[in-house]
Amino acid sequence: MAMNRRQFTGLMAAGLAAPASIIRPAYAQPKPGDELVVGIWGGAQEKIVKKHIEPQLVEKYGCKVSYVLGGTGERRARAYAERGRPSFDVLYLNIYESRQAVADGVTQPASPAVPNYEYLYPLARKGGYGVAFNPCTIVYDKTAASAPITSWKDMWNPEWKGRIAWPNGLGAEGISALMMTAKAWGYGIDEFDKVVEKVKELKPFAGIQGSQAQLFDMLDQNVADLSVEFASFTRMYAESRNPNCAIATPVEGQAVTMNVACITEGTRNQKLAEEWVNLHLSPETMLAYANEIYYSPTVNNVEIPPELQGKVITSGNVDSLVDFDWDYINAHRAEWQAKYDREIAG
Amino acid sequence: MKRWIGPVLSFPVTAWLLLAFAAPMIVVVLLSLHEYPSPFGPVIQSPSLVQFIKILTDPFYLSVIAETVLLGLAVTAISALLGYPLAYWLARMPSKWRALSFAVILIPLLTNVVVRSLGIMLLLSPQGLINTFTGWFGIPPVETMLFNHGAVIIALAQVFMPFMVLALYDNLQNTSPRIHEAAESLGASPGMRFLTVDFPMSLPGLRSGVIVVFLMATTSYVSATLLGGGKVWTMGMLVLNEAISNLNATMASALSLVMTAVGLGFIALATLWLNRFMRWRQGVPSSPWTIPAWVATLVDTVGAPIRYLLLFCSIGLLILPLVLVMVQSFNDVPLATAAGFRGFTLEWYRRVLIEGDYTSNFMVSVKLALVAVAIAVTLAMPAAFALARYPFRMRPLLLAFWMLPLSLPGVAIAVGMLKLLQVYLIIPPFAGLVSIHVVVILPFIITLLTTSAMSLDRSLEEAAASLGANRIRCFLLVTLPGMAPGIFAAALVGFLMSFGEVTVTSFLTTARLTTLPVRIYSEATFALEPTAHAISALLIVVTTVALALLGKFVRLDRLYSR
Repeated sequence: MAMNRRQFTGLMAAGLAAPASIIRPAYAQPKPGDELVVGIWGGAQEKIVKKHIEPQLVEKYGCKVSYVLGGTGERRARAYAERGRPSFDVLYLNIYESRQAVADGVTQPASPAVPNYEYLYPLARKGGYGVAFNPCTIVYDKTAASAPITSWKDMWNPEWKGRIAWPNGLGAEGISALMMTAKAWGYGIDEFDKVVEKVKELKPFAGIQGSQAQLFDMLDQNVADLSVEFASFTRMYAESRNPNCAIATPVEGQAVTMNVACITEGTRNQKLAEEWVNLHLSPETMLAYANEIYYSPTVNNVEIPPELQGKVITSGNVDSLVDFDWDYINAHRAEWQAKYDREIAG
Repeated sequence: MKRWIGPVLSFPVTAWLLLAFAAPMIVVVLLSLHEYPSPFGPVIQSPSLVQFIKILTDPFYLSVIAETVLLGLAVTAISALLGYPLAYWLARMPSKWRALSFAVILIPLLTNVVVRSLGIMLLLSPQGLINTFTGWFGIPPVETMLFNHGAVIIALAQVFMPFMVLALYDNLQNTSPRIHEAAESLGASPGMRFLTVDFPMSLPGLRSGVIVVFLMATTSYVSATLLGGGKVWTMGMLVLNEAISNLNATMASALSLVMTAVGLGFIALATLWLNRFMRWRQGVPSSPWTIPAWVATLVDTVGAPIRYLLLFCSIGLLILPLVLVMVQSFNDVPLATAAGFRGFTLEWYRRVLIEGDYTSNFMVSVKLALVAVAIAVTLAMPAAFALARYPFRMRPLLLAFWMLPLSLPGVAIAVGMLKLLQVYLIIPPFAGLVSIHVVVILPFIITLLTTSAMSLDRSLEEAAASLGANRIRCFLLVTLPGMAPGIFAAALVGFLMSFGEVTVTSFLTTARLTTLPVRIYSEATFALEPTAHAISALLIVVTTVALALLGKFVRLDRLYSR
């Protein structure tokens, strides 16, 4: 029988994958009464997964889903303390925490065992299963701006002096602001001192914002006019509370941040956890996220309706998101945090 | 007297604290002696003082310690200044109204610390109540009241002042009217009587209040995080940052121990300083305070108006944020912190009452608090009698150990517990949470029950004994009923503290055990909807009605006499 090149490649791939399937332990099939424990943010995200993922999983397996709600900090700290004997089965982390957690053996890397894995953008296969792109960018009060912001360098325009709420610490927003400063001004990732000096030129800050809710209060209360924040929630805020709030699309790009679903190492519910993640990566859940909180899909098989075009990241502009060397950042996190506390926030 | 009675009575509480508090404490000490942070390394390593040297030689850490201490002192001073007139007012309230009046301090205690901080935000914001009010008189809004030290101090005073009032109230209420009559018969004016009788006699309460408020204010972080706008740093925030953001349990542990040392130093200084003014309590002969006549005249003239002004401010500070929380619960805004009334809605109540958004969390909190209080009271009762009646050699040392959970930042216990999770996973999660909640509330319950045991009239027990009652009968029929108001007060304070605990609980929460405050805090760090205000408003209404009804049927005035 003649074999063309594609068939041959497919056969080779299957041959190479075969040992993996042998090595991969046989996980028990879920049975009614099993309990899947999911650690996730409270609020909108909890509501969406309860509405779009849980019912399908429960209907299919007769299982129970329990949630541990909270910020990623507490969740991650607990998962690290329980490494190898997790009380979570699925853990939602942000982009840098998820990659570190895989490196530290706390969570599993992404795997084709989850069928929808094949539709994930390459960027979303790192550190677990990326479930939502949520880029960070400059957000500002357009009535306070002499011209629309088109570059990260515009933050250094004197009109923003004393009106910036810089993001707190080295969380997703904080690191995005620092790394985009480096990119805009041409500094390398190993030139953190120069980045800090550049950011210090922006002081005094109107405040240091510790969360999006706090930033929106600061904008509402006219305490600050500009910050770096997730575009998704800011768009909801602008539409519901503050039409003067603008979301910049700088020429240097928007910083990629991502919510990642991570299956813990040592989970006793591997199959259920994989099924959960698979449901999260389904087009229906992705669209629900996009519709309800403007989170952008991380899979390439979702058709974005016209009303969401321009509001979420679509397949055409995933590549424009700016990613960072998270391994380098994580390796220097403690040192950078100390510098941030003393020089920027202090 | 049998010497073994004291140690035996002290055993249950000591054993509990050794298991549930000393274990994480020891882990914290061991972690603080690590040279480098290592999330997965062994707890026992060759000791090094490098973390402490880092803290004590780094101007940044030293400045945060100084900032925290100054913040704590300011909160303590404001709590004393505003809490004193309130305690004085409560102590003189006719018994008919006392139960309801106590709602002024009990309702804030029952309301989650996150929600109360949000209430302060709604008070101080540029579109908040104060600016709206001053705007009616044409005064332009002040836009700088939020996100600074002042806002944090006000929020912390609002959160911790009730503890100052509780401590002062006991002393003020116990001053016998005969002493007042004696002072008056010797020609003392009301001002002179206050300066020479009431104030000196309330100093023990003031001392307890000052210590408790300072320790709680310096180890907290929720209000500072929400209202400081990143400009306010406290040691609690640093510990949290190191433990959670940097996964550096080593530095977090060292910082917590430094904070503990600062707290213990403050206790020693405050006790030494205030004891100088109450030598009469040690049985040392002391002459009365010399008050210049003009001071007494001044107090007679302006004392009353100032007292009422401060009383007005303290009630305003305690209640206004909660009124705003109630108003916000009907506000049609997407987020809990959005100031300005945009429209009336019952949506948030629908979510709570019909969709049951918070029901399971509420039930977990109630169950946890009830069990923790029952255990804590059972453990603390014998301890209180050991302290009040059976002195033994180790007593001062044990007392210091029992009070230690108060001065150690909650987050430090959490850091220790996180390390111990591998062991504690064997214990059912509910039992684990209960054990820690008991630790957190024990210092308060022991203090309140000891005060109660000390003020029991022993002649009643002697009378019962002389009439043939054996020890058990005497305890059940005389001592226990005499302690009942004290037990109720201790249980109430313990319940409220356990019900509102966030710091440690958020580390130890599990899928089936998310308490109400942890749920609200978790949403506040992301995007909190006014549903949190709706459930707080419901709790406020239920508490007020319950207190009013209880006041009608039970002699509640006795409850507060401890």
